Amino acid sequence: MALNDFRPMMERCSSCTNCKFIPFDKIKSMRFADNCPSIGYYNFNTYSARGRFQLAQSILDGRTDLNETVTETIHSCTSCGACDVACKVCRYNLEVLDHNIELKAYAVENGKVLEGQKPVIENLKKERTMIPGTKKANRIDWAKDLNLKDLFKEKAEVAFFAGCKYSYDEKLQKIAQNAVKLLQSAGVDLGYLGAADNCCAGRAKQMGFFEEFDNSANNNIKAFQNAGVKTIVTPCSDCYHAFKRQYAKLGLDVEVLHIVEYVDKLIQEGKIELTKSVPMTVTYHDPCHLGRLSEDYTPWEGKEKKIFNQIHTWEPKRPRYNGAYGVYDAPRNILEAIPGVELVEMERIREYSWCCGAGGGCNESNPEFSQWTAGERVTEANATGADAMITACPWCKDNFLNAVDENGNKIEVLDIIELVQQAMREEVK
Amino acid sequence: MALSREIYQALEDIVGKRNISEDIGVCETYRSIPSQSSAHYGPSEHWTPLPQAVIMPGSTEEVQNIVRICNKYGIEFKASTTFWATMGYIGSDYGIQLDMRRMKSIEIDVKNMTAIIEPFAIAATVQAETMKVGLNLNIPGVGCSSSTLASTAGWAGFGPASIFMGANPENLLGSEWILPNGEVLRTGSIGSGDGWFCGEGPGPSTRGILRGIFGPAGSMGVCTKMAIRLHPWPGPSDFPTRGTIPAYKADMGDNLKCYTLCFPDWQSWARSVQYFHESDILYIGHRQFSMFGRNFKAAMLRIITDPDKQLGDLPALLEDEEIKKQNDSMKLDYQVVIAGMTERDMAYKEKALDEILSQTGGWKNEMMLEKDMHDFALLYLLRLGHKNLNYVMCGAYEGTFGLSGNVWKTIQVVEDAVKIKRDWETNYDHIAATGGDSAMGGTSAIGGGGMTGWEFFTNFDAYDKESVRGTCKFMDGNQEFHNKHGFGPDFCRWNADVRHMNGYNYTQEEHDEIFKNAPQPAVYAYQYKIREVVNPNNLCGSYLRTLTPSKMK
Amino acid sequence: MKEKLIEIVGKENFSDNAEILESFSKDQSFASPMKPWFVVKPANSAQVQELVKWANETRTPLIPVSSGAPHCKGDTVPSVPQSVIVDLSGMNKIINISRQQRMAVVEPGVTYGQLQAALAKEGLTLSTSLAPRANKSVLTSVLEMEPRLNCIHQFNYTEPLRCCEVTWGDGNQLFTGEAGNGPKDIQKQLDAEKFQVLSNGPNMMDLLRMVIQAQGSMGIVTWVSLKCELIPSIKKMYLVPAKKSVDLEDFVYKVIRVRYSDKLYVMNKAYLANLLGETSEKVVELKKELPNWVAAVGISGDSLLPELKVSSQEADIAEFAKECGVHFLSKVPGATGEEVLSKSINPSSEKYWKQTYKGAFQDIFFITTLDKTSKFIEAMYELAIEEGYSTEDIGVYIQPQHMGTSVHLEFSLPYNPEDSKEVKKAKELYTKASKKMSLLGGYYARPYDIWANIQLNKDAQSYSIQKQLKNIFDPNNIMNTGKLTIK
Repeated sequence: MALNDFRPMMERCSSCTNCKFIPFDKIKSMRFADNCPSIGYYNFNTYSARGRFQLAQSILDGRTDLNETVTETIHSCTSCGACDVACKVCRYNLEVLDHNIELKAYAVENGKVLEGQKPVIENLKKERTMIPGTKKANRIDWAKDLNLKDLFKEKAEVAFFAGCKYSYDEKLQKIAQNAVKLLQSAGVDLGYLGAADNCCAGRAKQMGFFEEFDNSANNNIKAFQNAGVKTIVTPCSDCYHAFKRQYAKLGLDVEVLHIVEYVDKLIQEGKIELTKSVPMTVTYHDPCHLGRLSEDYTPWEGKEKKIFNQIHTWEPKRPRYNGAYGVYDAPRNILEAIPGVELVEMERIREYSWCCGAGGGCNESNPEFSQWTAGERVTEANATGADAMITACPWCKDNFLNAVDENGNKIEVLDIIELVQQAMREEVK
Repeated sequence: MALSREIYQALEDIVGKRNISEDIGVCETYRSIPSQSSAHYGPSEHWTPLPQAVIMPGSTEEVQNIVRICNKYGIEFKASTTFWATMGYIGSDYGIQLDMRRMKSIEIDVKNMTAIIEPFAIAATVQAETMKVGLNLNIPGVGCSSSTLASTAGWAGFGPASIFMGANPENLLGSEWILPNGEVLRTGSIGSGDGWFCGEGPGPSTRGILRGIFGPAGSMGVCTKMAIRLHPWPGPSDFPTRGTIPAYKADMGDNLKCYTLCFPDWQSWARSVQYFHESDILYIGHRQFSMFGRNFKAAMLRIITDPDKQLGDLPALLEDEEIKKQNDSMKLDYQVVIAGMTERDMAYKEKALDEILSQTGGWKNEMMLEKDMHDFALLYLLRLGHKNLNYVMCGAYEGTFGLSGNVWKTIQVVEDAVKIKRDWETNYDHIAATGGDSAMGGTSAIGGGGMTGWEFFTNFDAYDKESVRGTCKFMDGNQEFHNKHGFGPDFCRWNADVRHMNGYNYTQEEHDEIFKNAPQPAVYAYQYKIREVVNPNNLCGSYLRTLTPSKMK
Repeated sequence: MKEKLIEIVGKENFSDNAEILESFSKDQSFASPMKPWFVVKPANSAQVQELVKWANETRTPLIPVSSGAPHCKGDTVPSVPQSVIVDLSGMNKIINISRQQRMAVVEPGVTYGQLQAALAKEGLTLSTSLAPRANKSVLTSVLEMEPRLNCIHQFNYTEPLRCCEVTWGDGNQLFTGEAGNGPKDIQKQLDAEKFQVLSNGPNMMDLLRMVIQAQGSMGIVTWVSLKCELIPSIKKMYLVPAKKSVDLEDFVYKVIRVRYSDKLYVMNKAYLANLLGETSEKVVELKKELPNWVAAVGISGDSLLPELKVSSQEADIAEFAKECGVHFLSKVPGATGEEVLSKSINPSSEKYWKQTYKGAFQDIFFITTLDKTSKFIEAMYELAIEEGYSTEDIGVYIQPQHMGTSVHLEFSLPYNPEDSKEVKKAKELYTKASKKMSLLGGYYARPYDIWANIQLNKDAQSYSIQKQLKNIFDPNNIMNTGKLTIK
């Protein structure tokens, strides 16, 4: 779709303010009622999904040009989709997240990007990774001692896809390595793409760099096909979302699982046993890309059809993505299976979880905004009294590691795999 | 037109660089296009004027200083909170928009059942905070996304729970206003620093000049803080929601129940409403789901409570025999919530409700007694978090046939109104054909029972200009019906005399021409005189209806 | 002058009789006496409007009076010479009663006794202030916001007052509230089934609020519409005794919190003895018998399962009392619930009950919250001791209002008007206590007499706005000139 294709939505948005709050039925306090980091940080209406509709309409009508402020506004969105979920509590014909991203793409097409985005995209193009300063040559260094099968050389049941963050970030690599060991210890036949392992580029899509995303995605899809991949398991929520939702649109036809889904299954099957007590009170942060943005993709082609004069429907019926079927229970099942762990929930969870701030490339392009967003979440986590915040995405973890709450306090941040490791007997760690 | 550097700098000095903008992109997002949310002057295809700047004050002092600058330089200003409706936006090319988003504190006096709130404390958050201490607030029909302060100070403020809690003007205990001339007025007991417990006096109540049957929609300065009366909440400290989006449900325990009451004819319907007015048993009384239309309400309830269903399922659902049966059952209906303060109280209220049904020949709709449906409807009515379903069908709505007032009078004409709407639905394709009767609203617009507050939801497509124009014609026809029955302006035209259809303010001369013909023109002449006192530079747009006293007949 | 007035109201409704003028020159408060010039008795609102126009032309102060004597708050005593009393007691029609809407419309001269009797025929009743004077105007009582006994039904602070017809000081006449949106003809409105129900408005201002608590200083009200209630088929009154007022706070809060009771108030023994005792001796006797403090809790049931409603509230309230460490009783030493109920809701006998004990009294009342009342009571007793006034005589009445968000706190100071020392003491205490209560945060929402200065001195901005409003509605300052300190 082009930006102009969103015009009916722009004109049918009713300025209701739903996009600024978590679903109203779920609000438990004034403090944690907001859902949108962008308007939360900048405050002007412009930064809300409603504001973005109106801004786009003004741009299309020629009243607003892509000046510096407008460009920054457009890109200061973590593409977390919280607005989309809140909107769809009541609306069936607006796709506010798609629009936010399309507006970014419009800016990108017109050469309006942020300085911080340039090295990220340049590196994607040059080194096939979205972490500036990292090299393609080092991408699979993290896996060198793991005995992972190279899928281009031998068959394996499951393809493990670590993603850029786990591959390059030294403080996070251990988690990916442990994830591999965990699966291997459970008897999973695991391989990886070896030299063909490249960035999923999901973040490029969410930053509005559609061409770059398409190039990377199509290459990766080919690589998966050539390697005969049937099942992908990834510990990275961004990659998970990219494969499950974005690649699916481009024709990827493989089973995509996040590691929490796989580990949950293995625990249910008794293939992973968590026997060691981890006496800890934890709270769980639902990554946007694992939760509300990860619903199964259903191909659809059709057009709008009005019934009963003016009621909007689609012919044929169009799939509805409103966050209802994201991956929320699997990580909680895992936490429940760990002896000694007590889960205390934050106010904003599951489909209405607050973003970590790293989404949409904002950790690179707008670090101050990104860190404020993470700090808000740390405040919420600390308000539960938990000892640690658990998450299932390296981008979330990394952003939280650098953040402090409103009182300047930090919180221990653990990937769920780290907690699982602690709960396992020594010999299988 | 840009503000002079001197003025912009003066404003920036007040709030800081971060909280003011004159960027075209930012300012463009502070315009309203009334085809979407006109509330209530009928759809129009014009944008409201572009503000010269948008400014976000963080305190009463900052608001006061902004208003002083506006007076010094003759700049129109208007404060708004959630920016839903057109009434919150400026009406001239020489104006600035105040966005009150940064001011959102809530303080609660539990014992004396009051809350002191700032403008951006929306009803959902006020309710969330008050529930923690066993209290609740009246949420207007517009829903919990609305600013409680705005609905109390600036507009009507009645809703489903008003029968138990009163409408917001009844709940107003005291307020702090920056008058349009820049002076601060604290009404009631807070004026002398004695506390926020009483909104009246000393002597005549100055709050009387700040809001009437409805508030002045931002035309009388900026209300920066107010105290509201809270009400008993016998439920849990937060909603124990279950289920998945979009149909969360909550089991609130045995002392909170929701029923859809149905009646064989309008006479019985009205009699039951009167009985409820005369008793103290309702926590909420609202004709809610008929907003989807007489023909669709049961089917729409099935759609909105199922994450897998969508509007495209409507035709099939309408063929379902069970849904047909349920829809027929709730043709003349309304929803109620009863709340038992104790077990005994609940037992009494349940029996009293049954007694009313027995005396009026009414019944409880079966479908709405299903556990999930009950828990959905209960949560829906208590929080009013689904306000945007107003727009679900077509993307735009406006209320018509505001048959508010004496329920006995209303029922005499309601089916005539239904026929007009149904004929339009059948003969033209501008509005959604939902079955004529889409009358929804509170069973009482005031505390303790009295007037009803109704509107017929009329759904149209804001994107389809033919639909917008046709809807306008439909509304013109409704006005004829209103004139015939002496009902005054139709609901959809309530604000038609305070902002032009092109989005701009009325001039005084234009207002004089309108209001000199009012049944009691002195009302508007006094409003003029009061504006002269508190708003000598006439800086807040034309929502305040005024008549030059010398033009009074 | 005289001729014009006679022309407006007719000879029989005009008086310059010295005795009559004398009777309006003072009341039983400490307000300084001043004789009015004339007394006129208009028969309808058209005459009232004529009078106001005349007063503007001649710059003559008008003082509207609706109730009969004794007046108690100084508001009807002229503050400036050559004032004309507009005695509205002759306008005593009940214009309408609607059982269906539970609404009544009455003129200024209608008394509680008269109205309640008429309402009863329709199965209705009107909430009342505490034992109003027999000749008290219902209209004045509601306009001056005399506290109601049933705070739970006070959805609006102004309940049961809804709409009114007012002739402003500038001579313009209009209807307020919902009635202001229709034709300025009450009969036409009633014929169109419009019952003056909604009090707010008309339009974007609430003009009713310009005449409430105004002591007639903004205009003259010639009818009011009133929200009535169904006559209960069961009426009960329970009494909850306590040693100290503070002991009753939790209980009262609890009852309010669940919206129980149809009457709820707290009195000390002196106040209750005054209410119940029909002779001075009886009052003295009762003061010995009665508990120090009593909360009165009325419960009623009307048409809808009355027995069940009453019995469930009785059982629940009894449990609340237990939880709060107090007793929920049908009688206490010296009083039964029935007696208290009967005395509270019925108009006083010819002699106003507050005069029974010593012949005269001076009240001090203001608005505060229940949790602060003990602070004021303590301060009042301390001051009384300092002034040598018997604390035993101080009556205290705590009336929750507006659903319990605030209370009317009233101190009643009886004194013997024939004993100059007592008069002096009472006056001293009244003056000092009035100031002291204000310093402690007492809010004189109804600023009679010296309270006007005290209150408005604390609130310069309200004072400033009120002066400007007065200038709009009464530009020649002819309405009860000198009241509310607004010049």
